[in-house]
Amino acid sequence: MNEMATLLAADSPLDHVVEHPIAQFGPVVFTNHMLMVLEAAAVLLIVLPLAVRRQALVPRGLYSFVEAICQFLREELARPLLGKHVDRYIQYLWTTFFFILACNLLGMLPTESLVTLLSLGRLKHLGGTATANIYVTGTLAALALVMIHVSGARQQGVLSYLKNFIPHVPWPLIPFMYVLEFAGALIKPFALAIRLFANMLAGHTVLAALLLLALASRSYAVAGVTVLGCAALSLLELFVAFLQAYIFTFLTALFLSTAVHPEH
Amino acid sequence: MFDPGILAETTELMGKSGAGLAIFGASVGAGLAVIGGGRGIGQIGGSALESIARQPEAGGRIFTSMIIAAALIEGFTFFALVVCLLALGKLAG
Repeated sequence: MNEMATLLAADSPLDHVVEHPIAQFGPVVFTNHMLMVLEAAAVLLIVLPLAVRRQALVPRGLYSFVEAICQFLREELARPLLGKHVDRYIQYLWTTFFFILACNLLGMLPTESLVTLLSLGRLKHLGGTATANIYVTGTLAALALVMIHVSGARQQGVLSYLKNFIPHVPWPLIPFMYVLEFAGALIKPFALAIRLFANMLAGHTVLAALLLLALASRSYAVAGVTVLGCAALSLLELFVAFLQAYIFTFLTALFLSTAVHPEH
Repeated sequence: MFDPGILAETTELMGKSGAGLAIFGASVGAGLAVIGGGRGIGQIGGSALESIARQPEAGGRIFTSMIIAAALIEGFTFFALVVCLLALGKLAG
């Protein structure tokens, strides 16, 4: 029991926030965020198909949950924006939503603490929030960038897409409008990446700061109240996990709709 | 209210390597960013509440728009926060 007490006191709460290397294969360093991306992929590729395998007319359980989410995303989010092109892009939007949701929720599970505790300190850092890493969210935003412009070019033809890129302005302003729209096209996915990254990072950092307060106070009363506060904040973090996945998907659908149906 | 000892210490740190100035700038910047974001989201929440009170049937759509607008504002509030964190991180790293 003494060993366990030392284990719990050893890790700083900020360990959950930072990326840690867990293995090295030659020049490639494998970190815990990469592990969490693989875990999210495993959840989506293994658990979801198993859940929807038994296609009954009246769905129950996990199947009903997944179907409710997919239905909501297609009818309430994508169809008002994309109109008749929904079915071309909805699979990408569903994948984005479920991947971000899986990464966010896996980050809320205390897997690294439990594994460290149960293995008595031998296995460390086998968990974390993948979307609290700017490279993961940057990749998602880069994929959204490619998806938006390639879809727009395929839908309208490349020349027509470039012509409709800017709103109608008098001819002297046209080069300036191209510069502005080009900057906007780069900034919008960058904002998507930063929004998701900063939300996840800030959530876990605030939890870590509260726990540091509990440790620094050296009193059971303050520590107890702080832990209750952390529990309440974790409920807020669960809400933010769903909200940020929804916002990312909604904005991707919005940018897709302006690329695919330009406003005349 | 102002402790001259702390002010002197901060000024000394500012002179040494800019570390004190960086800490000061990052902390004040984070606080200022929250003012703008909080005011904006508060205004959106207020108008949403008023419009739901006027027309409760539109409650669902208004709530969704409120959440989306709040998340967008929060997005660029977090830009400022990330810049402050980068400034602090430059100190540590």
